[in-house]
Amino acid sequence: MLDPVRLALLQKRLDHIARQMGWVMIRTSRSPIFNQSHDFSCFLAAGNGQVISQADGIPIHTGGGGFAVRAVLQAFAGRIDPGDAFLLSDPYAAGGNHLPDWVIARPVFAGAELYAFACIRAHQSDIGGGAAGTYNAAATEIWHEGIRLPVLKLVERDRLRDDLWQLLMLNSRTPHLLDGDVRAMLGGTQVGAEQVLKIAEDTGVEESRDYLQGILDHADRRLRAEVALLPDGRYCASEGFEDDCFEPMDIPIEVAVTIAGDSLTVDFTGTAPQMRGFKNSSYANTYSAVCTAIASFFDEGLPRNEGTFRSVRIEAPRGTVVNAEPPAPCTFCTSNPAQQIIQVCWKALGQAAPQRANAGWGNKLFPVTSGRNRDGRTFVLYHWGANSGGGAVAGRDGFDQIGPIETLGGLTIPNAEVYEQLYPIRVVKQEFRCDGGGPGAHRGGTGVHYVAEIAVEAEYAFRAEGIRRAKENGVNGGQGGTKGAIQVAPQGREAFEPPTYAVMRLPALRLEIMAPAGGGWGNPFERDPQAVAADVRDGLVSVAAANSAYGVVVTAAGEVDAAATGLRRLAAQSAPPS
Amino acid sequence: MTGDGDVMPAGDGAGLRIGIDVGGTFTDLVAIDDAGATHVFKTSSTPSDPAEGVLAAIDQAAAALAGSRGALLRRCHSLIHGTTVATNILLERKGARVGLLATAGFRDSLAIRRGLRANPWDHRSPNPEVLVPRFLRLGVGGRIDAAGRQVEALDEEAVIAAAQAFARHDVQAVAVCLFNSFLAPQHEERAAELLAKHWGGSWLSLSHQVAPLIGEYERSSTTVINAYVGPHTVRYLERLDRVLNRDGLARPMLLMQSNGGAVSVRQVAQAPYKLLLSGPAAAVGALRHLSRSMDSPNLISMEIGGTSCDVLLMSDGQVALTDQVEISDYHLTMPSVDIHTIGAGGGTIAGIDRAGMLFVGPQGAGAVPGPAAYGRGGTEPTVTDAHLVLGRLKSGAYGGGAVTLDPSLAGAAFAERLTGPLGLELDAAATGVIRILDQNLLHAVQRISIERGEDPSRFVLVAAGGAGPMHGARIGRLLGCRSVLVPRLSGAFCAFGMLHSDVRHDFVRTYLAQLGQLDIGVLADAFGTLEEQGRSLLAGEGFAGAAVRIRRELSLRYIGQQWDIAVDVTAFDPAGEPDRTRADFEARHLRLFGHIQPDGPVEVTSLRVVATGILPDAVQRQPAPSGGPPVPAEHRDCYLGEGGWQQVRVYAGAALEPGHRLDGPLIVEEQTTTIVVGPADILEVDRFGNYLIHLPDGRTDHA
Repeated sequence: MLDPVRLALLQKRLDHIARQMGWVMIRTSRSPIFNQSHDFSCFLAAGNGQVISQADGIPIHTGGGGFAVRAVLQAFAGRIDPGDAFLLSDPYAAGGNHLPDWVIARPVFAGAELYAFACIRAHQSDIGGGAAGTYNAAATEIWHEGIRLPVLKLVERDRLRDDLWQLLMLNSRTPHLLDGDVRAMLGGTQVGAEQVLKIAEDTGVEESRDYLQGILDHADRRLRAEVALLPDGRYCASEGFEDDCFEPMDIPIEVAVTIAGDSLTVDFTGTAPQMRGFKNSSYANTYSAVCTAIASFFDEGLPRNEGTFRSVRIEAPRGTVVNAEPPAPCTFCTSNPAQQIIQVCWKALGQAAPQRANAGWGNKLFPVTSGRNRDGRTFVLYHWGANSGGGAVAGRDGFDQIGPIETLGGLTIPNAEVYEQLYPIRVVKQEFRCDGGGPGAHRGGTGVHYVAEIAVEAEYAFRAEGIRRAKENGVNGGQGGTKGAIQVAPQGREAFEPPTYAVMRLPALRLEIMAPAGGGWGNPFERDPQAVAADVRDGLVSVAAANSAYGVVVTAAGEVDAAATGLRRLAAQSAPPS
Repeated sequence: MTGDGDVMPAGDGAGLRIGIDVGGTFTDLVAIDDAGATHVFKTSSTPSDPAEGVLAAIDQAAAALAGSRGALLRRCHSLIHGTTVATNILLERKGARVGLLATAGFRDSLAIRRGLRANPWDHRSPNPEVLVPRFLRLGVGGRIDAAGRQVEALDEEAVIAAAQAFARHDVQAVAVCLFNSFLAPQHEERAAELLAKHWGGSWLSLSHQVAPLIGEYERSSTTVINAYVGPHTVRYLERLDRVLNRDGLARPMLLMQSNGGAVSVRQVAQAPYKLLLSGPAAAVGALRHLSRSMDSPNLISMEIGGTSCDVLLMSDGQVALTDQVEISDYHLTMPSVDIHTIGAGGGTIAGIDRAGMLFVGPQGAGAVPGPAAYGRGGTEPTVTDAHLVLGRLKSGAYGGGAVTLDPSLAGAAFAERLTGPLGLELDAAATGVIRILDQNLLHAVQRISIERGEDPSRFVLVAAGGAGPMHGARIGRLLGCRSVLVPRLSGAFCAFGMLHSDVRHDFVRTYLAQLGQLDIGVLADAFGTLEEQGRSLLAGEGFAGAAVRIRRELSLRYIGQQWDIAVDVTAFDPAGEPDRTRADFEARHLRLFGHIQPDGPVEVTSLRVVATGILPDAVQRQPAPSGGPPVPAEHRDCYLGEGGWQQVRVYAGAALEPGHRLDGPLIVEEQTTTIVVGPADILEVDRFGNYLIHLPDGRTDHA
């Protein structure tokens, strides 16, 4: 019988340790991807590889850490020693999710016994490959995407292996960032390892193991309690792509979510075979995307450990877009198809519990620009200022601009003034779109109109998924958001729409993006007329759209014409807009 | 420059120094006279008109000390007020109707808020209301580039049109935040001239004055918040100041700012956002005073009330500051005491989640219904209920009958919600609740210390607030501290802090350059300008000569890092001595982060000048020991963790005098707090009458 007080104390203590590792990372890393965008996660695993806490981390890393730790256990069985630290990234050979996310896994020994691992997974600024900044939209094989790391013993009995270190630095376009960042990961896992060891010392190895098990069991019960509230059934939904990064084609992602009592099966049978381009997902990433969808659908307070997802069974047929086999490229997976996987799961779950349904978010379409800075160093510039609009949920409109769905918007959008100091860029505009957001009782986020001038010749990695008319992302009668658009106007040349996926070298240019918008929730004809009038007043919805999409008649003075609105909405009841 | 507006006391005879802290429930007034006698008064706050509560507190003090309000105020040579007026306006969304003038293309920065949300997983909660609706956020043409040069002239016609729109919509205050204005203010200055002429209103908040720092979101948010809280806050303060002056106060009332220093009404009138952390920041003064009295430069304070706990760290005599502040999900950049607040206090609720896990907080029961023991309808067990059923709090009336604690109600709440479902005895469940709260407190203290590379065991823990002294000794042990200090005025910690605060002005300016390539002249000019502003403000408040202190700091980081480290460069010229600057930076970096980058280029991000006007410190009288050992007021059955139930001596605070030293376990009941001293702890009353709890055999190892 476990003492409930000690159990509660231990769970909080583990989460506290994971967060502590995150503080170290944020404050010691050097690239903005870590310290501004928080594109990393810190987690602790038991000696058998089960993740016991991932309190600090981006959603799309949820639950995926166990794959990495189990790969270490497998690759170095019997050769894991105190003072070691491992590095890995490969999604096919080493429990990685995609190549840019490197994992440092540091074993913790209690006496002679392998007790736990303290780990950090973090997105590196550059890992070589066919395009600067880790996203090679032209890749057709994983070798085009950067250096592949099997499980490496980077630190051997407290000694950093200098040969490996040089190998890593030599394979990055930004070794000055990589050096500081990997050291930050080593420092963060060191802090975590010391704290975890104290648990073993305070509680005893054997006894604390029982409690760790108790924490995983509790998490299991937590999700089961939520799932049990939903009606049993099989809920199907589809999402997909309209190209393989090279040519148009239909690439469906199909899911059937089966709720039986308190357990869930998520079955991707029917999903398209893996594609030529880099929008394939590793199994670890698919697992994480499903976990993200589930955790964000149910309750933000669900425990962040592997026990939470014990009741979830995932069927992802091999050789498909959601469980690719080598040598398929898959670097884009944490973005696409992560977005499609999250949304397709949301759609299916939303049928079981419409009140909790989440409208889909605008997809991304901004490129990555890289080149030489004024000081001669390589720079890699993500146009985060062109992020999309979010989807609506019951009770709120979509966020008009928000970080990507796979971070649940947790990725911070940079200040344009800071970008102008860091990069040869002038940001001209970052303003909400009119009539972008998907109409609904709760409106989808509008997305932004983004304009920037890049002053130097540079390379562009285009991955403009958001210009596609993705499947409708409205729910419960809400409409989909408006798709995006992208245009580049190089100096002295005609403006043109770049290929959806491509890597191009271009002279100084003006980049213009209409960021995709989020979907609406619920029937737009049931939206509060005053909220529609406020949107009109604020320039987010036009007078015409207020009438056609919402059935709200707004006068020249900006007031709701209640009588006309009533008639208009009444008429629409018999003939709703298509 | 001295005159009627002087803040500096003339140094007359039996004067008084008064600190008044207005909280949500109580208004605390602490007065100290020139002989060092200290008096505390607690009255109810009056949220509808906080001035009333302030005057009621003054009248109560006057009745006890001087006979009349006038007599008291005439004796008062400095009155420092911690006000929640600005904070409440923001929290309750009762601010002015604000218009925002932005650079074309960026009027939505305020609403995009960089996508920041406290907990991304909680994606169903909406963002807080944008303080300026979009139709009042107007963009105008004109552009300053990243080097501070004009590349497009200000579109004056558009500014005039915006001014007219603001007039049409009855805007009460206008915020101006133009792109890159932290580098060159001329467009904002010109826009202000045009607004003055064409808008018709006068309450202007200009970003290059309010927060001349890089980052259009935080700068516009700060500028807007300033405009939003400004008109109402300033009106309240000026009115209160006038009443106090009319009734006898010879000098302007001083206000606590978020940076832990005081300022006069006149000087804060253009930047009232600086008052947003007015109350809690006063803890700085308390720490400074306690630090001197204990001769210890390293303190961590933990002030715990009914719903929240504020943690503050002082290292080497310096209280950590931050420039990034979040209040109720709004973001500001303002020099502020770095306070870490968590939801943990006496009213914190314990419960069991749907899968059987015990939790404590962060939700609290508030003042209504409050803990179950209050008998005001609360049915959920709280931390206060736990202390009560364990005998650590006495049952019956508190605060002159303001609340009454009934242990049977507390026990019933435990039985229904916790002991039954968990299969625990009442003692174990109540102890468990306290241990989990203690862990929350421990993590809060660890966060603020470890995050900065500090080892908390090197610190003296100061346990304050109504509930802090019940938890202090145990947290001290968990941290490995050797002692815990409980101020005698623990229940009025911030008002007490106001008695020991100085006047302070912080000036921060973005300044971007590589260390080693600093232009000596330019840097000296930039510092000189800020320093001149500081000296002139202080002179206006009557400070001169040795009463003026100037500190210069440079914020540095390795290129690519997001956070900077402030290095004190008062004593030397960083442009002339880049190596010394770098060495100081790296020593600090090593301490904070455990490593340095020997080849990493270092850049300057901002300059800071801190101008302090030293107010004479109030000296607490050291009460003369009357000799003889103290006699316990009673013996009470208490459950003290591993020791189980035992008869514990309970002392009235008034019976304990300097020099008294008692072995635990024991309990001290002060007017506004209860102190728990564990079995292995030793309580000593120091020469200032404060309680020092020694923790002789070190730490308790697990939380």
